[in-house]
Amino acid sequence: MKYQTQKIAYAYFLVAMILFAVQVSMGLILGWIYVSPNFLSEILPFNVGRMLHTNSLIVWLLLGFFGAAYYLVPEEAEREIHSPKLAYLQLLILIVGTAGVVVTYLFNLFDGNFLLGNEGREFIEQPRWVKVGIVVAALIFLYNVTMTVLAGKKTAITNILLLGLWLLSLLFLFAFYNPANLALDKQYWWFIVHLWVEATWELVMASILAFLMLKLTGVDREVIEKWLYVIVATALFSGILGTGHHYYWIGMPGYWQWIGSIFSTLEVVPFFGMMAFAFVMVWKGRRDHPNKAALLWALGCATLAFFGAGVWGFLHTLHGVNYYTHGTQITAAHGHLAFFGAYVALNLAIITYAFPILKGRDPYNQVLNMASFWLMAGGMVFMTFTLTFAGTVQTHLQRVNGEFYMDVQDQLWVFYVMRFGSGVAVVLGALLFIYAVLAPRREVIEPGPVITTAAE
Amino acid sequence: MSITRAWAVLMALSLASTAIAWSGAGGVWAALAILTLAWGKAQVILNRYLRLSQAPDISRGVALVLGLFMAGVMGLAVAGG
Amino acid sequence: MSRTPTEPPARGIEALPGDLMMWVLIVSELLVFGAGLLAFMGVRLTDPAGFAEAQSHLDRTGAGLNTMILVTSGWLAARAVAAAESADTARTRALLAGAAALGVAFLWIKWLDYAAKGAAGITFETHPFFTFYYLLTGFHAVHVVAGIVILGLVAIRPRAPTVEVGAMFWHMVDLVWVLLFPIIYLLGAGA
Ligand code: HEM
Ligand code: HEM
Ligand SMILES: [Fe+2]
Repeated sequence: MKYQTQKIAYAYFLVAMILFAVQVSMGLILGWIYVSPNFLSEILPFNVGRMLHTNSLIVWLLLGFFGAAYYLVPEEAEREIHSPKLAYLQLLILIVGTAGVVVTYLFNLFDGNFLLGNEGREFIEQPRWVKVGIVVAALIFLYNVTMTVLAGKKTAITNILLLGLWLLSLLFLFAFYNPANLALDKQYWWFIVHLWVEATWELVMASILAFLMLKLTGVDREVIEKWLYVIVATALFSGILGTGHHYYWIGMPGYWQWIGSIFSTLEVVPFFGMMAFAFVMVWKGRRDHPNKAALLWALGCATLAFFGAGVWGFLHTLHGVNYYTHGTQITAAHGHLAFFGAYVALNLAIITYAFPILKGRDPYNQVLNMASFWLMAGGMVFMTFTLTFAGTVQTHLQRVNGEFYMDVQDQLWVFYVMRFGSGVAVVLGALLFIYAVLAPRREVIEPGPVITTAAE
Repeated sequence: MSITRAWAVLMALSLASTAIAWSGAGGVWAALAILTLAWGKAQVILNRYLRLSQAPDISRGVALVLGLFMAGVMGLAVAGG
Repeated sequence: MSRTPTEPPARGIEALPGDLMMWVLIVSELLVFGAGLLAFMGVRLTDPAGFAEAQSHLDRTGAGLNTMILVTSGWLAARAVAAAESADTARTRALLAGAAALGVAFLWIKWLDYAAKGAAGITFETHPFFTFYYLLTGFHAVHVVAGIVILGLVAIRPRAPTVEVGAMFWHMVDLVWVLLFPIIYLLGAGA
């Protein structure tokens, strides 16, 4: 660790991993409810559990991004973070807000209250006071990191990272606009949900990947920056109008079917670019970095993101196809592999890279960490396949043959059992990961020859 | 080919396609002729205006993709009568 | 970018003239318009008679004239690059202004076309042909506007690399039009 304030990342990553454990466990409960529908129906209704599953996902991913920024900005800018105090205050606000969401939902408090009640829109259903807290936290973060970068060296990596984080924070402001007209509501809702994962978060992903490649492979910064710019340009070019793939059936004008189909198809390009980037850098790289697990996660991230977002996204993005598959289990298959590949694996990669350094030891116990990669990735891929099969059957029976929704669900039961099984693997993998990162102290593998440059 | 020569060729090709359209010639052959002229114009713009001829490898690759595109459009034009 | 003859000839992507990011943009735009035009041709198969009827409402002469306007404008822009490379600022500016002025002329003719459609009550929803017509020509016209702005911006301090980037954008607009015009306006017209 070159800079003391990089330590801030430790706290962020720790909270992120706790929420990660909560998130996947909640997924497992949901998966069981699908198998046995009355499970916990009195204490934890499906809709509340689902909200906790998706919201804790978003919150921990964002915490991971913040942590990553606090970790890599000092190193890139060659400056300590402007104010560590503010950074911890920001974390505190986010923790209180998250706790507030959980309590409000679990006990169904303050229904309908303007300030305290939930808002009932997937991913952004937080009560208004929490939303205000999120904005305050984001402002603190942006101020803190921007001041650091302005005072220090400006690199392409920090520029893109900051651009992504600024834009995603600005987009969140749409969460305060909740029109009564359902079509309008959806139109603006996608400004956040889509323009996060398919535009601004991609910038964050590209810059963190670039940072990891820089450190792990030792390829020249110039080469890495060229890739970074091309990836970012294609992501923004395709992603912004690609929003149209959510406007097919919500009452927007018909021309969105063509805009959405064409631009969202091009969204495959940046994901392919990130995968090509990661592999070409490793192939070109001269450095044999001892942290093999971080490299595995980085390569796994780029690959699974390409399949989850790129391939599974394209699968149902043309409006002629989406007409049949909209809102079926195909969507769930895509949502899981895309989120896991692109953003979960990304966070686990930077955590795997940074933790040994933050703890002041050599990369350790890589075997367990790598085992957790295969367990989680294997589970996720299997889950994606089962849900894709389920979705195909569902599309045929429900959308083509016109059978009733619940009759079709009964016929999908076996797939839901298999989804639960793969979910168990994912949860075990997650717990193993957390253990592998936090607990062991002993070396398991031979350290590489040069370890004095631990901060690399 | 100088820039001005390129411009002259582009004008000639444009006049030719307009002439075909005005002549009232219809059907598949007129469509193919018009598309061929457009193809030629696109190649001139790429190689002369955009100077792609300076990068022969890439110019060949782009020409191939453009050729596939034109083949696609021509195929659909023929299918549509 | 002019190369001195003593340099070894560059190969592959290194030989690409101008700015790499502009090429990324150009390729992206071409993919979008290419996909749009192929989709147009595909949907046309479902209703050839309806498409031909709809197409007969277009102003073919104005659009043909517009082709020549754009091609000529591109010629001026290309010569502006040459002028910038020989550091002739006044000449560069004049040529860029000429290119932009022809762009405005293009937009004027295009506007008359749209106004006529509007007066005839033809909208996006009138027929699939017009959905594509408005989408593709409208999207192209937006690029013409952007291109005029860009030409104006690079004319402020006309150095060779920036003028080249601006001209490349303009040539891309030109290139899209020479493919779009025959497919939307001319195909299947005569009969
Ligand atoms: C890191 C791992 C995971 C990620 C990134 C993730 C992500 C998501 C997302 C984004 C959604 C909302 C999907 C949509 O709106 O269509 C969702 C819903 C869901 N997830 Fe997960 N999840 C993960 C792990 C799990 C696990 C381990 C299970 C257990 C089997 C699970 C089961 C479910 C279920 C049952 C739903 C609700 C689907 C529905 O409403 O039909 N998830 N998850
Ligand atoms: C990492 C990037 C991505 C993530 C995290 C992601 C995640 C998601 C999620 C969670 C949903 C369900 C939303 C809901 O209805 O609640 C969704 C829907 C969708 N995604 Fe993605 N996605 C990504 C990239 C892409 C890409 C690149 C494409 C297209 C090529 C795509 C195409 C779609 C489509 C068409 C839908 C709508 C499905 C439907 O109609 O039900 N996604 N995505
Ligand atoms: Fe999307």
